[in-house]
Amino acid sequence: MTLFIAYALIAGVLVGLSRQLNGRLAMSTSPLIASFWNHIVGFVFLTVLGLVLGNLILPGAADAPWWVYLGGPLGVIFVTAGSWLIPRIGAVNSALLVIGGQMVSGVLFDLARGAPMTFWASALGVTLILAGVALTQRSR
Amino acid sequence: MSSIPAQRPKPLHLLAAFASGGLLTFAVFINAEAGRYGGALYSSWLAHGTGTLAAILVLALLRLRQRPAEPSVSGKAPLWAYLGGISGAATVMLTSTSVNTPLALAGTLALGLAGQVAFSLAADQWGLFGLPRRRLTGRDAGAVVLIVAGSLLIIFLGMGS
Repeated sequence: MTLFIAYALIAGVLVGLSRQLNGRLAMSTSPLIASFWNHIVGFVFLTVLGLVLGNLILPGAADAPWWVYLGGPLGVIFVTAGSWLIPRIGAVNSALLVIGGQMVSGVLFDLARGAPMTFWASALGVTLILAGVALTQRSR
Repeated sequence: MSSIPAQRPKPLHLLAAFASGGLLTFAVFINAEAGRYGGALYSSWLAHGTGTLAAILVLALLRLRQRPAEPSVSGKAPLWAYLGGISGAATVMLTSTSVNTPLALAGTLALGLAGQVAFSLAADQWGLFGLPRRRLTGRDAGAVVLIVAGSLLIIFLGMGS
């Protein structure tokens, strides 16, 4: 169990590391070029990994709906935005604001599709997040 | 360390960061659907492949229209700055493993949040990997506490019923 806790923690660290590295690359190139390198390097890495491990593409893959091809392009915008932001507002603000946007939109998304939710907790959570976001906006 | 001062977020930054978090919600949902059909490795591989093509397309369109913008620092980026994609790809492997343990989605999200915030605090404090150093203030601490508390509330009490 300790191993899996470490996995989940390290995954979070790697999200921050990735944004930090892409942000540094964007400073010498541009945010979009950093996003391009992020995706092609990840693609080559995963291709090699898939060839080594086998089972890269499971038989059911062809039955997926057409819109599964849109996740990648959305990811390009996400990495571009992060690479543009991090040299400008810093790592903490970038992480907090992206996490805030993800949590609030996740709650709205779950509400819209009628997923089970404990409303008071989600509403209070969103309120706390928005208060935190407002705090990042206050002038010195 | 660099000469570019990191600012407090302006409304434009806030909008860009918050909106990109919203995009991530949709991207995660879409990639999870790809994973349901083709497996977690396939899902990440597909997202990186289609993302590469999309980035090439947009870059080509921009090159046709205008001269590329001047980079904010001169000189080449160090080789390690190109490895963000490996870090991102490894993230998917770790989370798709831990989600299927007793940690489940809630535990994976909460621990991931903790890891990300801890790293970002260290990154700003010491200006890790060539990005500007940024002195942390009491206001930063307040924002961290409020946003982390709100997120944990949603993850552990709000999700599901």
